[in-house]
Amino acid sequence: MKALEEFVSLLTRLPGIGRKSALRVAYHLLRTDRAFAQALAERIAGLQDAIVFCSICGSYTETDPCPVCSSPARDRSVICAVEQPQDVVTIEGSREYRGLYHVLGGLISPLDGVGPEDLKIQSLIARIREGGVAEVVVATNPTVEGDTTALYLKRLLEATGVSVTRLATGMPVGGDLEYADRLTLARSFRGRTKL
Amino acid sequence: MPFSSIRYAAFRNLVDAELDLAAERVFFVGENGQGKTNLLEALYYLAYGVSFRGQVDAEAVKRGAAEFSLSGRCSEALSDSPILSEEVFVSWAERVKTIKVQGKPVRDRKILVEKNPTIVFCHEDYSFAAGEPERRRFFFDQAAGLISLSYIDTLREYKRILRQRNAALREGRFDLLDLLDQQYVGRGIELMAARRRLQREFDDRFVLRFEAVSLLGREVRLRYRPSWSGEEGIAEILAKLAAKRSEETALGTSLSGPHRDRWSFAVGAENFAATASTGQLRLVSLTLRLVQAEYFTEMTGRLPLLLFDDVLLELDRSKRRRFLELIPPAGQAFFTFLPGEPWEEYRTDSTLVYEASDGRFAN
Repeated sequence: MKALEEFVSLLTRLPGIGRKSALRVAYHLLRTDRAFAQALAERIAGLQDAIVFCSICGSYTETDPCPVCSSPARDRSVICAVEQPQDVVTIEGSREYRGLYHVLGGLISPLDGVGPEDLKIQSLIARIREGGVAEVVVATNPTVEGDTTALYLKRLLEATGVSVTRLATGMPVGGDLEYADRLTLARSFRGRTKL
Repeated sequence: MPFSSIRYAAFRNLVDAELDLAAERVFFVGENGQGKTNLLEALYYLAYGVSFRGQVDAEAVKRGAAEFSLSGRCSEALSDSPILSEEVFVSWAERVKTIKVQGKPVRDRKILVEKNPTIVFCHEDYSFAAGEPERRRFFFDQAAGLISLSYIDTLREYKRILRQRNAALREGRFDLLDLLDQQYVGRGIELMAARRRLQREFDDRFVLRFEAVSLLGREVRLRYRPSWSGEEGIAEILAKLAAKRSEETALGTSLSGPHRDRWSFAVGAENFAATASTGQLRLVSLTLRLVQAEYFTEMTGRLPLLLFDDVLLELDRSKRRRFLELIPPAGQAFFTFLPGEPWEEYRTDSTLVYEASDGRFAN
């Protein structure tokens, strides 16, 4: 069945979907209501037209500038630098942060041939130069590449006079020491704070 | 944790079977090529998910078969009720290895290190005494990792930073090297501190045990020479790296750091490996394993599983006896013997003996 094989082969290119899952999805779609399959196909086809990058912060949005960048209620003195657009959604979910965002579009990794010039760092500096920004919070992952990017931003941005901070790493809130993985625990020890 | 049984299918030359292993000591006796070492390798696979011979998984599949599977039951003590035992499962099929404990997939093999701490004494260990410096680093990293999983994490981080740093050197990314150096030195210093500790802990133990078996009459000491030995703190090491940068950039590789640390054995000021006999070098590697097992128990309060693959064969009769007396307490110990060896002398009431022939084991 060529149509089925082609569909399954395309599905397996998606992250987290192996051949077995792809087959399950394909058979489910064969059995399902035609209107549902039609609606799904239309959404997939239209997704890239409906969602664009915000021309200011680089996150995903249906309107440009995005609701965060255009909201008068946000704190314009703080910019949170993240690796990818979906990180904005994650941080917004915490409802803790009321500042603005800047999506870097990757992390510095010489192994993968990604240098600072491949990231949206110049546009971040341009935003800072426009004035009013007092702090940049670097929210990259606590990995080798995330650390390198954070160190790079710190060195570069401190020359602009803004304060550069980094998200704390360590024990999860409500977590139990017993269940913390060792890397997290080791990081927590390195970053321990004075009481 | 001791194994009460093992089941294997399409693994090397072993004929598919399930074996009872519920004994403190298990002997596998047979001629060469009958499957004794393969059975130890199967146990090691269940302990760590890899071969101790450093071979790829595909080579462990029986000729003509497409996949192998192993499963073993283990518990804290052999006397535990079967209901308390856990099943460890390892399979390799279509180039994918699956490891499960109690039916749950294990994503990071590091977890297994804690579950089934196992120390193998095998022929390949000879390279710890006589091989490249990399082999000694491998041994001491393994010894440190067995008592501290965070050592494994730090080593992994260091290796990742090293690769990034080497890529930056090759690409001439000077803007990034300063940043990578900070991380590189940070993790490197942690590794060096752990290795220095290990040297202190191993040295005296090693001297005593090596002398007790070899009766050499001279102290053979363990030396550790860190690559960043002349420098005291982060700032000095960073300055050294900065001074060496043009050389490193020309070669496209990191010329100093814990991946260049040296371990050696010395008699006085002399390198022992340069003058030692083959038998003495074999004894060095066996003694390292003895100390590793003993130190592991001292640090963790746990008893490791010990696998001895034909190693007694490498010692003469009197050394063999002295060596056996030094074997530290184990959760369980597995030995392979050739039929001509005096294995009967070593057996106790709680020893299970299997005779190996053509991949089959009978008791």
